[in-house]
Amino acid sequence: MIFRTTNPRTTRPALRKVRTTTTLRALHHRLDPARVEEIPFHAPDGVRLGLTRIDTGDADRPAVLLLHGHTASADMFLLPETRNLVDVLLAEGYEPWLLDWRGSCRLPYNETGRRYTYDDVALHDIPEAVRHMRTRIGDRPLFVVAHCIGSLTLSLSMTAGLVPGLAGVVSQGVFLTPKLAGRTSLRMTLAGELLKSRIDHIPVDFRKVGLWSKYTPLFALASRKATCPDPTCQILHNSAWGTGASLFVHEHLTDTTHQRLAELLGPAPLWILPHLRRIELARTVVRWHDTDHRYRALPQNALDAAARIDTPVLLLAGSENGLWLDSQNLCRDVLAHRQPQLDVTYTEIPGYGHLDTFLGRGAALDVFGHILDFLDERR
Amino acid sequence: MREVNENVPAAVDQRATAEAIERGGVGLTVTDLLAKVTAPAATTRPDADPPRDVDTLAATIAGIAGRYVPAGRLSPDADFFDAGGTSVSAVELVAALEAELGTQLDLDEVFADARPINLAKRMLARTGAATAVPEAAAAAAIGAVRPQAVATPPPLLAGSPPRLTTPSDSTARPDDLTQILADLSLADRLPFTASPDPVAPRRILLTGATGFLGSHMLLDLLRHSDAHVHCLVRAADEKGALTRLGEALKGYALPWSSEVRRRITVLPGDIRQPHLGLPGDLWNTLAHELDSVVGVAAAVDFLRGYQSLRTSNVLGALTLAELAATGRPKPLHHISSVAVFNEVGIPSMGEDDPLAHIDRLVAGYDQTKWAAEVALRRARDHGLVVTALRPGGIGGHTRTGACNPQDLSSGLISAFGRFRTVPAFRYLNAAPVDWVSRVAVAAICEPDAWGFDYNLTGVPNTLDDVVRDMALGGMHVRVQDWDEWRADALARLQAEPVPELAFLTRVLQSPTALKLCEATLKGPAATADRTTALVEALGLPPAARYDARAQLKTFERLAHDGLARLPHKDDQPYLWFTETTEGRVGPVGATPDTPCAMSLTLSIASMHQLVTDRRVDVRGELTCPALHPEPLTVARGDIWVRPEEGIPHGHGLRHQLLRYRLELTDTDGGRWWLEGHKYARARRDLWRQTRALTVQLGREGEPASLAGEVVVPADSYVRDQIDGIRVDPRLTGQEKRAAKLTWLAWFGLEMGRGLIGPFARAAADLLDLRRTPNSTEHHR
Repeated sequence: MIFRTTNPRTTRPALRKVRTTTTLRALHHRLDPARVEEIPFHAPDGVRLGLTRIDTGDADRPAVLLLHGHTASADMFLLPETRNLVDVLLAEGYEPWLLDWRGSCRLPYNETGRRYTYDDVALHDIPEAVRHMRTRIGDRPLFVVAHCIGSLTLSLSMTAGLVPGLAGVVSQGVFLTPKLAGRTSLRMTLAGELLKSRIDHIPVDFRKVGLWSKYTPLFALASRKATCPDPTCQILHNSAWGTGASLFVHEHLTDTTHQRLAELLGPAPLWILPHLRRIELARTVVRWHDTDHRYRALPQNALDAAARIDTPVLLLAGSENGLWLDSQNLCRDVLAHRQPQLDVTYTEIPGYGHLDTFLGRGAALDVFGHILDFLDERR
Repeated sequence: MREVNENVPAAVDQRATAEAIERGGVGLTVTDLLAKVTAPAATTRPDADPPRDVDTLAATIAGIAGRYVPAGRLSPDADFFDAGGTSVSAVELVAALEAELGTQLDLDEVFADARPINLAKRMLARTGAATAVPEAAAAAAIGAVRPQAVATPPPLLAGSPPRLTTPSDSTARPDDLTQILADLSLADRLPFTASPDPVAPRRILLTGATGFLGSHMLLDLLRHSDAHVHCLVRAADEKGALTRLGEALKGYALPWSSEVRRRITVLPGDIRQPHLGLPGDLWNTLAHELDSVVGVAAAVDFLRGYQSLRTSNVLGALTLAELAATGRPKPLHHISSVAVFNEVGIPSMGEDDPLAHIDRLVAGYDQTKWAAEVALRRARDHGLVVTALRPGGIGGHTRTGACNPQDLSSGLISAFGRFRTVPAFRYLNAAPVDWVSRVAVAAICEPDAWGFDYNLTGVPNTLDDVVRDMALGGMHVRVQDWDEWRADALARLQAEPVPELAFLTRVLQSPTALKLCEATLKGPAATADRTTALVEALGLPPAARYDARAQLKTFERLAHDGLARLPHKDDQPYLWFTETTEGRVGPVGATPDTPCAMSLTLSIASMHQLVTDRRVDVRGELTCPALHPEPLTVARGDIWVRPEEGIPHGHGLRHQLLRYRLELTDTDGGRWWLEGHKYARARRDLWRQTRALTVQLGREGEPASLAGEVVVPADSYVRDQIDGIRVDPRLTGQEKRAAKLTWLAWFGLEMGRGLIGPFARAAADLLDLRRTPNSTEHHR
């Protein structure tokens, strides 16, 4: 029962119609504003992205590029209410850099649909950010810590040889071998096919769409058997964008983070689903554009090209990851069998889900130690 | 304080006596007493009796015992175990004493009281060479000043030594009772204190952070509060303490990073020492700065007696109470144990139910936990806010499997799995450590929860639950009577000793520890209404039964550590059937023209290998003239179902369905390997996909020399692999049918998932041909 509404209250503010440039929503952090450098940054295909450098006043620190997941943003590493990854990296002598690639909720593309596929991210966003950083940091070591789709697209960039010479990569959630639960996959396909002619994104913030809208049935479905009454939490925790997967372990979030969920995670575009589905059913990262030669730098199948990975990789995953399940464990097994020469280790974080490995109130204690151990060994 | 108590005539005589014994006529605080107990020198009354006096004998025993403690020496009135002696070294000590002194000493006596001076007394009493000295053990330590009270003991105590005719394994020893009463009275010397501020703690002292529960609680305190935690760790200096704490946390699979170190301070000290072994100024600073004291440290040993455990478990708790009551008022959170109910035949174990009768508690551990809790109840009368948290059995972590390998429950679980028998218990009051720790920490951080008693026992497991859980895992156990089980398990442990289970053997041999086991196994289910209410109010995960799924990781860890044993491919298989294949192979790249046939037996040792590895064991033989004229034997073989989740070897739709890996030996000793795959494709020959095996063969260490395809004949498939399934003959008919059905359901589902994969991808490719319409959303 997907119905169209003409209610003018649900339309976007008029500003969108007159605005000609893309701006990024401001970061939410408690660092000294003078130390946060926002770099005007565009992908080679002209798309405005966000790149932020935290200035430490120390020119010798190894740099760490942080890649968020799809629909999240650099804010996920800067939570002011907990001890976040940027705090810990600064304390341990690293220089954090945060990229808002085109799937960031600080950028409007997910919602207003300047369409893209993960090929664009792997081909343009990540390599360009690394290139730009290299011009600034010189030959200092460069690490990448990537979450979810950020990590999945990074794996495609790495196997394409577009980001050579990284000092180390920490991948959280999923890397080369994405695996979803059958139920999640089925729901994703069904919902995508049924809804794609009616809507183009699934919002998560109930307050922005209102009680009576064409998204109401989605929120209603997501609230089935939910324990938390917050609709935003329901559509993320109980049923991630309606797929039935769970993005985090509820009790790991502080109340403040829980209230900010709609700010931390934005709407999910439906037009990305075909690529995501192709990747998930193949259980490996595959290229979408088969006939477009602009993308030929990317391998057709990232797993087949895994021999090109030239850096140590730490695969992290929460033991209760409700979205990607044990993908990282599978990735370790597959790489150990097919590419035994690679330096790939897997660390499971007991009791953690997917997003709470960065957003959780205990993440500094339970998760970041593993990341730092890995970085410290290779700095 | 004494004036206050003297208004209570019933108890006063008894207590006064005990106090007087303990005090030696002068005022003695916890600190003084600890100093006396730990000080090496104490003047014992010279015993003139030939052939050897107590002192000389004690010195000799101390000399021998010194070899078995880390320090290399032991003073005659110091406890052997406190000085670092272990259960194993106690056994060696008894053997050494027997060899060198020629007198027999019962191992249980050493465990009951392992101070050389008391061992000497008992040896002399046994040989009849010394005058009977049946006085309280405490008196020996206190020395020459004999208070008058002992000369005219109150009626209760006066009668007991001569009438000590009850068997020593059903009631407490009078020596111990006297000592317990003396220890309880120490609580009366605590200062009076005001109520603490009802705010979440910011600076916490935690003892026992290197222990199993304590280490988990340390991390939970850090996770669920913003507090800084001071950890009292037994070590010479801060560096040593930090190392020891780090090793302990890592050993329990807990994080140990700069982020953890940032929020803790280690205090090298000792719970058994006065003022925790801390310098005076530090003690004072702590007394004024801390806002919460959490006592987790305890000596957990079911063999040792009260005398040996009291310094850690009773006096340690009282020292913490002293710290809590001194300076700024602080709540004291004491980890007690349901052992305080551990009396055979106790009717109920609720949070507010009466504790066991102390004279019916036999094991030293139970006695010390009882004494500590009762002493702290008395401390409540001084205004101290004391929370008593009583875990039952603490099971391994549900996620990491971290467990305490020297714990009785670990030993019992391992023995159940090894021997496939369980004693008929009523309830197992056990909960996983993650839940116990989480709830304990919640009570510590929530001011409204302070000052009450909580049973952290979770949901009790009944005998039926346990038997059913084990059957689910493919380990069908048989129930035995407790005595029968004990005799049986002991005989098996002695016949085939398992070094990791040596402690269980000792427990099953010790009459005292057996009483403890019996009380535990025959006890009622603990109830925990207050804990349940707390959990609900704070929105914590409710207690769940510690079932097979929750125990899986722990069991794997126990098996890894050598305690438990997972079913192995050399054991009697749980289920097996045969598979025959026929086909042709040929040199790689050429037409396959040589016949090749396999006759295999596929078996599983337990459901565990299916759930964790999706692996089936293979035996049998292969006949292929291209390799050897005689059939080759499978030395080792495995089949993986949906290996690597079916991910194709190369880009494409050819998903892996099954993977065979066989190591073969021919009759001339040549070694070969076979690697085979069944593939799922998006084609309609599904029936053939499930039967056709693409194989490669080669000599060991060399690349493939032969390749081809072998197929399970269609007519033999159902006959062999469904009708022909055989199940362990030791199982009952019902269990056999269940095993067969479980296997077929599991295998059918896995094959179904494997076969559907390529079709789903083909279907998705078709769906992708649909036009993606431009969005109709308004704002675009």
